[in-house]
Amino acid sequence: MTDQILFQGLQYGIYILEGVLCLLLARQGARRRRLGLCVYVTLLFVLDGVARPAVLDHFGRTSMQFAYFYWLTDVALAMGAFLLTCSFFRRACAHEAKLWQLVRLLLIFVFILVLVISALSLTRHYTHLYTVFIVEFSQNLYFSCLVLNTLLFIMIQQLAIEDDELGLLVCGMGLQFAGEAAGLALLHLTSGGDFARAIFSFLNPICTLGMLVTWIYAVTRAPQTVPVDTLVGKQTALVEAVD
Amino acid sequence: MFMAALILILSTALFFFYLQAVCQKILRRQFSQEFFQSIVNANRLEFPCVRKAIEDFGSPVEYPRLTLTLKCDFLALTYLLKNAANVNQRYSYEERLLIVYFKLVFATLVTRHWLKLRETPAALKLTAILEYFANVVGERVNTVRFGNLTASDYLMNL
Repeated sequence: MTDQILFQGLQYGIYILEGVLCLLLARQGARRRRLGLCVYVTLLFVLDGVARPAVLDHFGRTSMQFAYFYWLTDVALAMGAFLLTCSFFRRACAHEAKLWQLVRLLLIFVFILVLVISALSLTRHYTHLYTVFIVEFSQNLYFSCLVLNTLLFIMIQQLAIEDDELGLLVCGMGLQFAGEAAGLALLHLTSGGDFARAIFSFLNPICTLGMLVTWIYAVTRAPQTVPVDTLVGKQTALVEAVD
Repeated sequence: MFMAALILILSTALFFFYLQAVCQKILRRQFSQEFFQSIVNANRLEFPCVRKAIEDFGSPVEYPRLTLTLKCDFLALTYLLKNAANVNQRYSYEERLLIVYFKLVFATLVTRHWLKLRETPAALKLTAILEYFANVVGERVNTVRFGNLTASDYLMNL
């Protein structure tokens, strides 16, 4: 009973934060650099905040229809997350055309790799499409997003990109992917045991909450840091002016 | 099975890595001025001395004093965060996150001491968190005015 109340509380918290983030992004206007984020947040709100509760309300939690719908929307969200990661890479490489060409090839390669690995899994589990295959495909896609996200984080540090909003968005995404991939891996390892299911049912909404809170922080009050070059430049200009 | 185990271990490690990265991003916030100095002087906080000792001599003061100093400063600053010029009398989300982060880093400091590893990086992280807290308190206090003086000027002139 307490578990149910806590779970419902987390779910409603997520719906509220998804709505708030949608409103914040709409209020600040759709800037080109935030287009991917706007599309993903809208998709998240429509699928997770509107469609899933509607299907749940109509068919019930234990119905097959809800289970199919949940896992299909999970694949759609995983694909959306992958595309969002691609858009973050594009934003990070805004001034590096050659690097973007290389990164684009890497992203295409990773997606094909995930498809091939999951297709191989399908040949072994074609009778359990909605149980084994979809869980494994989502797990692989989330994990590849997590690896790509980490590469992006390292790239931001290495290229010293002064975009704190992007940094926080990447961190929030990392929290979500890491939690989701760990939960799915645990589910896969224990073949969907009760303990793993209980952990996954709480871990997933907690990570989503963490991501949404970080994104709201990023959109509303990302810390504005002064680039070191600018400071040095100003000091040099001041010294020159005094001289 | 091996793949799933590998994903589980790496994902868990990366989860904590990103949590730390978020905290570090919050700590990078630039304040319009160095508010922390007036709060340090008014409350006789010692974390700037700890940081100076680390920067000058490469190692912190002796361990028992270091932990006591950091713990006392943390208690004083978290009390001020909640009660000094705070209309809501509660922490914001980022302050709560940083309080948890402080406790985790403090635990790593203790672990590093037990394992006889270098404590300096953990101690520096702790002083950075305390400086952030002092800056937030200072910024809030600075907005409250006592006659012609700001609260921090008032405290400085005591």
